[in-house]
Amino acid sequence: MAQLELRDIRKTYAGALDETLKGINIDIASGEFLTLVGPSGCGKSTLMNSIAGLETITGGSIVVDGEDISGMEPKDRDIAMVFQSYALYPTMSVRENIAFGLKIRGMPKEEVRQEVERVADLLQISPLLDKKPSRLSGGQQQRVAMGRALARRPKIYLFDEPLSNLDAKLRVEMRTEIKKLHQRLRTTIVYVTHDQIEAMTLADRIAVLRDGELQQLGTPKEVYDTPENLFVASFMGSPSMSFIEVAIDRSDTGLSVTLEGSDGRRLALPVPAYLENWVGKRVVLGIRPEHISQPDEQKRDNPMVEEGRFTVEVTEPTGPDVIAVIRLNGIDVQCRLDAEHPVEWGEEAELMFDMRKVVFFDPESEKRIRPQ
Amino acid sequence: MTDVVRTGFRPSRIAIYGVLLLACLVYLIPLIIMLITSFKTPLDIRTGNLLALPTDWTVVGWTKAWSEACTGVQCNGVSGYFWNSFKMTVPAVLISTLLGAFNGYVLSKWKFKGSDLLFGMLLFGCFVPFQVVLLPMAATLGKLGLANTTTGLVLVHVIYGVAFTTLFFRNYYVAIPDALIKAARLDGAGFFTIFFRILLPLSTPIFMVSLIWQFTQIWNDFLFGVVFASGDSQPITVALNNLVNTSTGVKEYNVDMAAAMIAALPTLVVYIVAGKYFIRGLTAGSVKG
Ligand SMILES: Nc1ncnc2c1ncn2[C@@H]1O[C@H](COP(=O)(O)OP(=O)(O)O)[C@@H](O)[C@H]1O
Ligand SMILES: [Mg+2]
Repeated sequence: MAQLELRDIRKTYAGALDETLKGINIDIASGEFLTLVGPSGCGKSTLMNSIAGLETITGGSIVVDGEDISGMEPKDRDIAMVFQSYALYPTMSVRENIAFGLKIRGMPKEEVRQEVERVADLLQISPLLDKKPSRLSGGQQQRVAMGRALARRPKIYLFDEPLSNLDAKLRVEMRTEIKKLHQRLRTTIVYVTHDQIEAMTLADRIAVLRDGELQQLGTPKEVYDTPENLFVASFMGSPSMSFIEVAIDRSDTGLSVTLEGSDGRRLALPVPAYLENWVGKRVVLGIRPEHISQPDEQKRDNPMVEEGRFTVEVTEPTGPDVIAVIRLNGIDVQCRLDAEHPVEWGEEAELMFDMRKVVFFDPESEKRIRPQ
Repeated sequence: MTDVVRTGFRPSRIAIYGVLLLACLVYLIPLIIMLITSFKTPLDIRTGNLLALPTDWTVVGWTKAWSEACTGVQCNGVSGYFWNSFKMTVPAVLISTLLGAFNGYVLSKWKFKGSDLLFGMLLFGCFVPFQVVLLPMAATLGKLGLANTTTGLVLVHVIYGVAFTTLFFRNYYVAIPDALIKAARLDGAGFFTIFFRILLPLSTPIFMVSLIWQFTQIWNDFLFGVVFASGDSQPITVALNNLVNTSTGVKEYNVDMAAAMIAALPTLVVYIVAGKYFIRGLTAGSVKG
């Protein structure tokens, strides 16, 4: 358990033209679960390797519990890491894999044995202890890799896409287990994933990275409901947010935007008053699928809710919901509809727009327009 | 139809096996001739057919080649030179293989500024013809006081072999995932611990390749042996040449053939014992992490 501060971390690989990490600042509280999410190649692994000491940083500092560890060797940092490929030592048994780091650190034999057993119990891998990694399934290898990290009881755990090599079902199971484990052990964890659902479900806070720059740092709810910019908004959420360029109009009842369906029918939607400065200008309206649904009696009286009829172009049943696609201002927009009240593609449907949670972006800077 | 396919005795099959058998025979005929000739009496050789089996089987050729045949002025057979070759080959093979493993480890897993360039230049060593290095090497050995010694020969073979062994090990280790090294570093393992505890146990196939390759190269070498060794320290390849060229009366082909067989036997044995690893090592892909 330790507090971790990343202060203006910069990294340029030898021989590379561009900076891979362009000044990352994150404070991670003791016992916090931070997920680091971003598209492939944005520098997530580089940041993890830098924290672990496997890569030297070219600027900034890494501070653990007030101590600057930037110059330390990996072995002196007391940080453990779980790799995407598991990186189990192929010639050693599971027991030896877990014990390797303990033995190297000079732990007495009897204590090593106890520690291996504790970890094996914790992860339910006791029956596998004498097997070679190549005899294990992917999920079992993953557990062993976690066991190896847990064994030393290090200050900080780093997970670099640990579930990416598992099939979908196992991935969800392991996700739950990692979450349980964290709730039990309350250790500081930095967890890398490119899967935004994994990021949302596991994290206390999420850091969204793009091209080596931190885009947003916040709780899953903050990142989901109030994305700082278009990139974060489009990256988080599945199906993703739809973006529609609209002009802000003023009417007797307040500010509004007008959307046009594929049949030319128009619908004026109320927008919040903080857009006052944008009247007459164009903004990007960000609307999530769940903001458009079937009419709901209870919401009908809310001034920020509006209804209209639109033609459904495509339906995609997901089980609990049906994702319906409608066209608004020439753009495909996804709506999350209740599967109990089916709509057919090609037909018209009465849809309710809940404008309380939609967000607006400045089309120039791509930043979210904040309420004043 | 299906029955015909299953039996596999179609004309095309027969043709394929026929060609393969013929190729086998072409490769084996010299060996067969050497073997049967070595067991013949000189009379048998002079009167009989080259391919005919001996009328009287005898090991006289072998015993004479081993301990009595003349290699120049001395007539003690090739046995002494046979052991010379061992004294030269075994250390040279082991040292060059270990150095290659170590170089390969550094060049693949601990890259430093210019390490790829260094590797490229090392590869050049594989293509330098023996003849080019003869004179400078002779001078160097002289300066080191190792001229005409087995130690000197070992040194020459190690230097020449390291280029190949480094290539083998470097390419083998490149396929081993870096994450393995990273995990070990986080576990607290240092440079040598990682090499000896993680990588070496994974290296059996490539070790076999390197051992066989180096053994064959060094045991069969003639040029370095003839240039850098003299008299009692000569390897068996040079002795064999001297034996065949020493003319005292009638040419004893049985002795020549037996001596040649003795010279070839160790490499044959190495292939038979470790050959399957050689194929496996050459075809081994990446190690599953
Ligand atoms: N060892 C390296 N040398 C040079 N460039 C590298 C190295 N490792 C990664 N990179 C580059 O740094 C960028 C970020 O890579 P990485 O941190 O692995 O991304 P991610 O884990 O987010 O997919 C990529 O453009 C990659 O090509
Ligand atoms: Mg990565």
